[in-house]
Amino acid sequence: MAQARALDRRRKSVRNIRKITRTMELIATARFKKAMDRSIAARDYTKHLAKILENIASVGADVAHPLLEIRPTKRTAVLVLTGNRGLCGGYNGNVVRQSLALLGQWKSEQVSTHLSVSGKRGISALRFRGLDINETYTAFEDKPEFAAVAPIGQAYLAAYAAGEIDRLDVAYTRFEGIAKQVAVTEMLLPLAPPQAAGEVATKLASDEYDFYPSAGSILEEILPASFMARLFKCFLDAAVSEQVARMVAMKAATENAGGLIKSLSRQYNRARQSQITGEIMEILGGVEALKQ
Amino acid sequence: MSEQKQTAKGGRGIQCVVVTPETTVFDMTAGFVSLPLDDGQRGVGLGHAPFIGRLGAGEVRVTPRGAGSPPARFFVQGGFVEVAHDTVTVITQKAVAADAIDAQEARKELERIQASKAVGKVAIEARLDAAEAARAMARTAGRGR
Repeated sequence: MAQARALDRRRKSVRNIRKITRTMELIATARFKKAMDRSIAARDYTKHLAKILENIASVGADVAHPLLEIRPTKRTAVLVLTGNRGLCGGYNGNVVRQSLALLGQWKSEQVSTHLSVSGKRGISALRFRGLDINETYTAFEDKPEFAAVAPIGQAYLAAYAAGEIDRLDVAYTRFEGIAKQVAVTEMLLPLAPPQAAGEVATKLASDEYDFYPSAGSILEEILPASFMARLFKCFLDAAVSEQVARMVAMKAATENAGGLIKSLSRQYNRARQSQITGEIMEILGGVEALKQ
Repeated sequence: MSEQKQTAKGGRGIQCVVVTPETTVFDMTAGFVSLPLDDGQRGVGLGHAPFIGRLGAGEVRVTPRGAGSPPARFFVQGGFVEVAHDTVTVITQKAVAADAIDAQEARKELERIQASKAVGKVAIEARLDAAEAARAMARTAGRGR
């Protein structure tokens, strides 16, 4: 009986695990929808900013600004966006791997690096590899707020303006669609210069925008704003991707648990049956012995 | 929806949109929009020439078409506005509906800023900007009552 009972106990525990993973999957699905809505709502802002930048570029305003200046990289900053929790497949591992590649590159080029990490998983993974982390954030969950991201962005802008950093890279998971999220490293500073969009610009140029107070002054203000928007988008993407990753991982776990329960049930039934057969044989043996 | 119908019946209106990094705060057809540009308030009516402007801290007032209904009022802090083809797009990092502002809080904030000391050019400018924003916020809140 011992083996059959052990199998039954195991089957019960797998059933409990399946319940948990199934619940986590449902929670991740709900959070993903909310995070996705936020991400979509945030797109308008970026779109309008980009349009204004295009307009400024198309009137041929002098687009020289410290944030656009490409300086030789002597000191750099790296921001790594991971999750606070695990159980989401390769989500955290992929971002950590990306950041390690970048950090290794800076190390080999002997560039001093200011490392900031968001998310407990990334913090412990990078600490484990013996890296010095200058700043850590653990407050960002599935709903990063602009008010919380803004101070981080301001600090980077100030450091860049003061020449304390020459470059900023962000390692995060880009959300490219529900079926595709990629861990990437993206350079946010210096900013890519605004491009006048070909056909659209010629159409818009006929609008002949006036600029108040001047195109230069607007550019001065809009570049930091567009940096902020991009940084915020990184946080939003990371949040959405984390939920998708957890959703997928938990779905797979639930399915695996189902398979395991099936095979355990089969083993259990077989063990029980052989036990019953054994007992009958024993009884029959006893009866035969008594007859003689 | 009802505004759009109204517009279709009663001719043109100005599409006024206020967006922040997190969401689109406001999207409505208006008759007149008053904007706090960097150097002073500016009104935009129908058929205004296209422009892109830098916003200061102050009140965006959106007057609906037709008489009767009160204007929608927002406090915005910095950002941009794009005006073209009877569309006003306000792009700002911070937009708060005037009703949602606590006037006393704003005044307290102003007093706190005024009491603080700033040393150095950058800090002094930041302090002046913050004071200006707090003052504008208090003013926006006060106007509705």
